[in-house]
Amino acid sequence: MISSSEIIDMDQLDHTRCRNWPFLQDFCVTCGMCASSCPASGIDGFDPRMLVRMVSLGLAEEVIDARWPWICTMCGKCENVCPMQIDIADLIRKIRSKREREKVPGILHKGLVAALETGNNLRLPKDDFIFIIEDVAEEVAEEPGFEGFKAPIDKKGANILTTIHNKLVNTHTEDLKHWWKIFHAAKEDWTVTSENWEGTSWGYFTGDDDAMKIMAGRIVEQMEKLEVKTLLWPE
Amino acid sequence: MTVFDLLIQYIKDGRIHLDKSKFTQLATYHDPCNYGRKAQKRFGHGFFQEPRWILDQCMENWVDLYPRQMNQICCGGGGGTLTNGYNPERVFYARKKIDQIKATGAKMLVVPCHSCHGQFNNIKAEYGLEDLEIKYLWELVADCLILS
Repeated sequence: MISSSEIIDMDQLDHTRCRNWPFLQDFCVTCGMCASSCPASGIDGFDPRMLVRMVSLGLAEEVIDARWPWICTMCGKCENVCPMQIDIADLIRKIRSKREREKVPGILHKGLVAALETGNNLRLPKDDFIFIIEDVAEEVAEEPGFEGFKAPIDKKGANILTTIHNKLVNTHTEDLKHWWKIFHAAKEDWTVTSENWEGTSWGYFTGDDDAMKIMAGRIVEQMEKLEVKTLLWPE
Repeated sequence: MTVFDLLIQYIKDGRIHLDKSKFTQLATYHDPCNYGRKAQKRFGHGFFQEPRWILDQCMENWVDLYPRQMNQICCGGGGGTLTNGYNPERVFYARKKIDQIKATGAKMLVVPCHSCHGQFNNIKAEYGLEDLEIKYLWELVADCLILS
């Protein structure tokens, strides 16, 4: 926890510590435009200007252990007004990446581990996934105008492959239907995959680039396997 | 391919037809950070015009929030904040966004982002907007489909 009233020992300051971080943080002119534009300024004492200065001054542990980088949504409003074009949102993500994985708050890292191990954040088995997709497809087929509707799973040579946000096969199955209805009306030749269908990639939130590459790579693998050329990734 | 490009393609190619009279109550649109401001910075193209064009094909009665596009205000549900457990902070974060929405008097909020959708549904009652309908952009399109 950091608070603006906390006194930092001047001996800790080391300008060289983070100078290889490629976010231009050393260019900060402390104008405060970022803090003025930030919707999260003041929440738990959060101040993007102060955070940028702390990185520039080498106070890495302090920002890595802080709650601030996780209260920030990396919305980019700060960097949009920054006269020195400092990449503040990416800097926040870099700080997140340096948090010990077991100390990443909430279910973010746990969900990501589940996705890496099982192909989706929910650890939903393949049979259960197929059951849900087919069950919801039957509901759609009962609606007027959608007679005969089916959700094609693992269809080789389809025109479009679409990923699925895990919440749509968990608590929000109704929301599967919107895209399906559009596909039906457009007579689209589409498919979903029975494995590695996960559309979210929580490495984006936790600062884990390796995990993001694995998740994206799996989707590409599915496209190659099914010989699908176009990906719709609504997440 | 983005959700916007595909929807626009279907509409322009005449593969889907939409009923513009289905929704008459005032609606508004929220620019998600990643489709808008951050896409503009990372890829040189923010998806600002595309969703608005799609909205125009679905309904007559919608207005923009102010400020919007590059100066848009985040909903507070992005960056993993919906699942990192900092819930009071996340709800408080949304106050400025909610002020924008209330200023329009809209009864429906259209969003093309799962995180924004989850955030708005989670917080709307907290801010006295129980009746505000939160709709995915593609849900709006699906609801307006004219089926032959």
